[in-house]
Amino acid sequence: MIPADLTVILPEIVLALSAMAALLGAVYTGKDKLASALVWLIAGLMLVLAIWIGTGSDGSRSAFNGMFIDDGFARFAKVAILLSAAAVLVMGQDYMSRRGMLRFEYPILVALSAVGMMVMVSAGNLMSLYMGLELQSLALYVVASLRRDSVKSTEAGLKYFVLGALSSGLLLYGASLVYGFAGTTDFAGIYAVAQHGEVSVGLLFGLVFLISGMAFKVSAVPFHMWTPDVYEGAPTPVTAFFASAPKVAAMGLFARVMHDAFGHAVEDWSQVVALLSLLSMFVGAVAAIGQRDIKRLMAYSSIAHMGYALMGLAAGTAYGVQALLVYLAIYVSMNIGTFAFILMLEKDGKPITDIRALNLYARREPGKALAMLILLFSLAGVPPMLGFFGKLYVLNAAYDAGLAWLAIAGVIASVIGAFYYLRIVYYMYFGEEGEELDSNRSPILWGFLMASAAVMLLGIINMFGVEGAAAAASVALVN
Amino acid sequence: MSLFLIAALPFLGAVFPALLIRAGRNASASAAGLTTLLAFVGLMLHAPAVLRGDVIQAQFDWLPGLGLNANFFLDGLGFLFASLILGIGLLIILYARFYLSREDPMGNFYTYLLLFQGAMVGIVTSDNILLLLIFWELTSLSSFLLIGFWKHLPEGRQGARMALTVTGAGGLAMIGGMLILGNIAGSYDLTVILSSKEAIQASPLYLPALILILIGAFTKSAQFPFHFWLPHAMAAPTPVSAYLHSATMVKAGLFLLARLWPVLAGTPEWFYIVATTGLITMVLGAIIALFKDDLKALLAFSTVSHLGLITMLLGFGTKFAAVAAVFHIINHATFKAALFMSAGIVDHEAHTRDIKRLGGLRHLMPITFAIATVAALSMAGIPPFNGFLSKEMMLEETVHTAWGGSAYLVPGLALIGALFSAAYSFRYIVHVFLGPKRSDYPAKPHDPGVGMWLAPAFLVGLVILIGLFSAKIVGPLVATAAGAVIGGEKLPYYSLKLWHGFTPALYMSIVAVAGGAVLLMLHKPLARMWDNAPRPEAKVIFEALIAALTRLARTITDGLHNGAMPRYAAIMIAFTVALSFYAYQSGTLAAPTRTLQDVGLIPILGWASLLIATGFMVAMHRNRLLALVLIGVVGLVVSMGFNYLSAPDLALTQISVEVVTIILMLLALNFMPKETPIESSAGARLRDISIASVAGLGVGGLIYALMTRDFIGETISGFHLENSYKGGGGTNVVNVILVDFRGFDTFGEIIVLGIAALVIFALTEAVLGTRVRAYLLNRKPDLPQAGDSHPMMMVVATRVMMPLALMVAAYIFFRGHNLPGGGFIAGLIAAIAIIMQYMASGFAWATERQRYPYHAIIGSGVLIAAATGLGSWFSGTPFLTSAFGYIHWAPLEEFEWATAALFDLGVFLAVVGAVLLALESLSRFAWQPGANTDHAMDINPARDDVAKTENEG
Repeated sequence: MIPADLTVILPEIVLALSAMAALLGAVYTGKDKLASALVWLIAGLMLVLAIWIGTGSDGSRSAFNGMFIDDGFARFAKVAILLSAAAVLVMGQDYMSRRGMLRFEYPILVALSAVGMMVMVSAGNLMSLYMGLELQSLALYVVASLRRDSVKSTEAGLKYFVLGALSSGLLLYGASLVYGFAGTTDFAGIYAVAQHGEVSVGLLFGLVFLISGMAFKVSAVPFHMWTPDVYEGAPTPVTAFFASAPKVAAMGLFARVMHDAFGHAVEDWSQVVALLSLLSMFVGAVAAIGQRDIKRLMAYSSIAHMGYALMGLAAGTAYGVQALLVYLAIYVSMNIGTFAFILMLEKDGKPITDIRALNLYARREPGKALAMLILLFSLAGVPPMLGFFGKLYVLNAAYDAGLAWLAIAGVIASVIGAFYYLRIVYYMYFGEEGEELDSNRSPILWGFLMASAAVMLLGIINMFGVEGAAAAASVALVN
Repeated sequence: MSLFLIAALPFLGAVFPALLIRAGRNASASAAGLTTLLAFVGLMLHAPAVLRGDVIQAQFDWLPGLGLNANFFLDGLGFLFASLILGIGLLIILYARFYLSREDPMGNFYTYLLLFQGAMVGIVTSDNILLLLIFWELTSLSSFLLIGFWKHLPEGRQGARMALTVTGAGGLAMIGGMLILGNIAGSYDLTVILSSKEAIQASPLYLPALILILIGAFTKSAQFPFHFWLPHAMAAPTPVSAYLHSATMVKAGLFLLARLWPVLAGTPEWFYIVATTGLITMVLGAIIALFKDDLKALLAFSTVSHLGLITMLLGFGTKFAAVAAVFHIINHATFKAALFMSAGIVDHEAHTRDIKRLGGLRHLMPITFAIATVAALSMAGIPPFNGFLSKEMMLEETVHTAWGGSAYLVPGLALIGALFSAAYSFRYIVHVFLGPKRSDYPAKPHDPGVGMWLAPAFLVGLVILIGLFSAKIVGPLVATAAGAVIGGEKLPYYSLKLWHGFTPALYMSIVAVAGGAVLLMLHKPLARMWDNAPRPEAKVIFEALIAALTRLARTITDGLHNGAMPRYAAIMIAFTVALSFYAYQSGTLAAPTRTLQDVGLIPILGWASLLIATGFMVAMHRNRLLALVLIGVVGLVVSMGFNYLSAPDLALTQISVEVVTIILMLLALNFMPKETPIESSAGARLRDISIASVAGLGVGGLIYALMTRDFIGETISGFHLENSYKGGGGTNVVNVILVDFRGFDTFGEIIVLGIAALVIFALTEAVLGTRVRAYLLNRKPDLPQAGDSHPMMMVVATRVMMPLALMVAAYIFFRGHNLPGGGFIAGLIAAIAIIMQYMASGFAWATERQRYPYHAIIGSGVLIAAATGLGSWFSGTPFLTSAFGYIHWAPLEEFEWATAALFDLGVFLAVVGAVLLALESLSRFAWQPGANTDHAMDINPARDDVAKTENEG
């Protein structure tokens, strides 16, 4: 029993033990001097795990009496989580070490939060859900306020923590209500009880609280308030991390709970999720217009993008889940490139985040500007960039599920949203003469930026096979 | 040649100019030219088939999951546009070779031009709307590159930004509309969509789809009210303007209207939106064009006007109008491209485009003059040029069109448009080329080399030929293209010839030409009036609109995200309450199945005191000490409540935890200001109070509802009661749960407890080295401190109590398994006993007597618990399985001994260690080494002296 269970969660165990070993080892030896090596080690380990998970077993397995599920959906999400976390770790390494911010705890915390995320997307039970969620969140709380000497960073981290605790409380409350009215914390058990039309009020309350708690984690409006502050306050590599793996994990968890546990009561939650999606798309689009700080702008952008991803979930169908997964995969790859670009912006060694500093950037760095142009068009959802196909997927899914109003609203929001992406393009290509930024020659960042832009363009050929994988994953989840 | 290849050729060829630029500008230009020529020839090979009415198709499934197929088809309409795009493209490539100067990066220019060309060809040949959208946005992107990479004149930047914003947003809107269309039709293939007219027009989503598509088409084709971006995009080099902004890109919108004409046209919505927009655009553009002094601005507004004309024709929804529209597309492309090129030549040679600084060029530039004159006359609608023919058809059609019941509105306005159109065309000839020669040209103008005038001359040749022999030259093309527009139905009667007899259209034409001449004569006074007249400047409005929207967005954002956490929390909670209300509304609530117990007086009193204490605490929370006292009251009442409800274990735990936490919090108060300042406004507090009350009452109601109903399944208490003695060997279920059933949890918890204490220790350790400690030590208390910090009574009492308390702890510990008690409670009691020593006798005194470091106590507790757990492996059972048995030891009665007790010992130690470590860490701040060495019970005369002087002073 136990050894079989352990095989199923072996990747998680390996990552968790490595993180702990690294923590102990680093404390007793070089501490921060080892930070760079640890970044590479952990990123490498994540890469290996991603390959292992991605190429490993097929089909569905569960461990610990259904508490932990290893199916196509979980594997898809895990590969996305691990790859993006590894990429972000590597990207931020140089930036942080040059500014003396690279503590050895950073890669370890990222690894631990990745373990949490992996558990989240594999959760088959409200208890393992909560455990994964908290493991992820606790690591993220610390990472958010990594720069302890900055008031902004600590304030943002504290807000995130307090509101996060509040939302965790909501979620826990919801989970206990669900337990009370379903008689079990097991998703399969809840699935059998929660039949549409026969859902008791208690279970509905539980559902609503669960949704509220998870909406906070995906930063859906109106649970998004922490996002701009944290994105702006945290060091840029941390922001990049926030904008990648945790989004996949939280969305994966959301989809997991909704479909695995409440798959028979789609009508009861799809309206709520659709509302969250609508609000997120519009608030994200409108609020970003007034922003001058590119990190804050990316925060609102992420809120809007989560709105689109939620649209796929709101559809409540297997196709919707497929759309959600494709969207997330594309979103994460766009964000990695975008943040690689943001990480390169600096003047006199100081990071710059004001978009007006990009004035005429294209003239000095045509290659990078072109790559960023592609990424921004992709973020705005302009064809033929991959971002468009993500949007197309979720819009189709929503439309097919009878949510035409949501799809149309999504289009309108994307028109509003295009405005601020194009504004950055405008600054880069037509801005006024201003002071020049330093030219950052980091090959790693350059590589990520170019690779991400290339993916946005070349992905149109066959989406690198993500489509099929996502389809298989969605079938594993929705039945 | 396969359609794939035709569409792909420009993209493939786009690589060469940029690479070949090292080999010279001619090589670069000829690479571009040859590619285009090849594609053009390939296209022409299809000409016979297309003109026969065949539709050429090429299909390839690309991303079938999305419905994206790389399907191309070529019918009359596509053929018309493709030949315009490639043919004029060829001329532009020739023209640009001589127009661009040595400093201009020509390789890149041609690369972008070919990219753009490929995208345009893609638009007009795709048979899949997703594919079409891809090409559509590619034109935006490549046109942006073409403009963007040019020299950055200040006005050019503004123009580019506007063009990008307007067409970009429009394109996204169109995507939405197209997707709806595809979903209604059930396929994204255009041929399928084009055949499902009924389904589309009957769908409730027809109007939203129509509006979204029209926004896309209108923005691209610069229709009112989006017309303003086009004139401002004229900062681009002239070949770009000629190609993008007159011949091809701006016609993409028209192409789309024509392409979707079979399914969208024919409804009143279509007529009123499209025809009206076109009409307004035509008139407005023509009027503004007359008063522009910049040659290119004049041409730009005239383009806007002509695009409006075509839009209007398509909007009429009649077949004859569709034919006229197709014909005018051809004519406009020929004369307008020629005009742009001639304007470029003037600019190139005279170094200015300002009409006021030009005039009399006919002597200096005869060839250019000839080209420009023919083209402009065609634009004015003068026979025998081609512009006349299509304008006649347009006027003819307006006469038959009633708008909202009025028969004169459309022809009247169309006449005004034609009149101004004639006027600005004449102006282009008269004010630039005629008149006296001037002496102050910025450069000495002369005709350019043949390379530059060849392309416009060719186009002008077409203008004349089409005008004279229209039926022969373009008749079949117009017929097949128009046939494709109206969806393969029978074409109406029309004839492409110059003389139709004395028709109303002819009279209107005569009026227009004569009126145009009169207007030109009156140009000076009119222009003065125009300049003085207050008029809305679209650019200013656009900018004001953008600024206002930005401000609005910022206001909303700042209102929502002002950084104040109470607001964030308030919004979150309010939304959750609203969602819960929705849940309550949508679900069904079963009738209560349980009745409430009778309540006596005492519980009600307790309940009331709980409420009062909580209420006071909320009101008084700014005074931290008071708040702590009230929290203590709440905790006490709660533990009494547990006791009353027959949960002595809980009560014991609650009360001991209460004591420990209050003491720790009292210590923590030391680091904090005494009171919290009031930062929120009264309104915010009112908001918070109401939200909190609603949420609190809601939760209360929910809990009440829960408690009066049965849960779905049986509770687990039955299982525990049944198995507690049998499986765990104890009759105290709570304790058995803690140490046996859920022993693993408890094991985790004591580890967490220990870690928490260690973290407190580590944090205080870290802070001790900073300024915080100095601040705390040097702080002047605002009230006099007690002279006697270790009151004798208390010292004596605690020391006497200590052994007793430890005895109680031991007692509680041992009875734990069967009666209320257990390691956790016992640990807390022991900890309290020791804490009291610290409090009464002082930190120094207590530390001196402490022999075992608390770290070690925590560690040993965890280790003992772990060892107990591991022990069960030796008996072949899983981790933490407890065993119990009965031991008979001579002097004692037979008693039960469970391994769980050993585990409980671990719990006990961990609790004691954790609590004391936390306490010790927190109190170290205030402790000054060596400052207070006197023992509590010692008599220290100096202290009395201090007290005396303080009292006296």
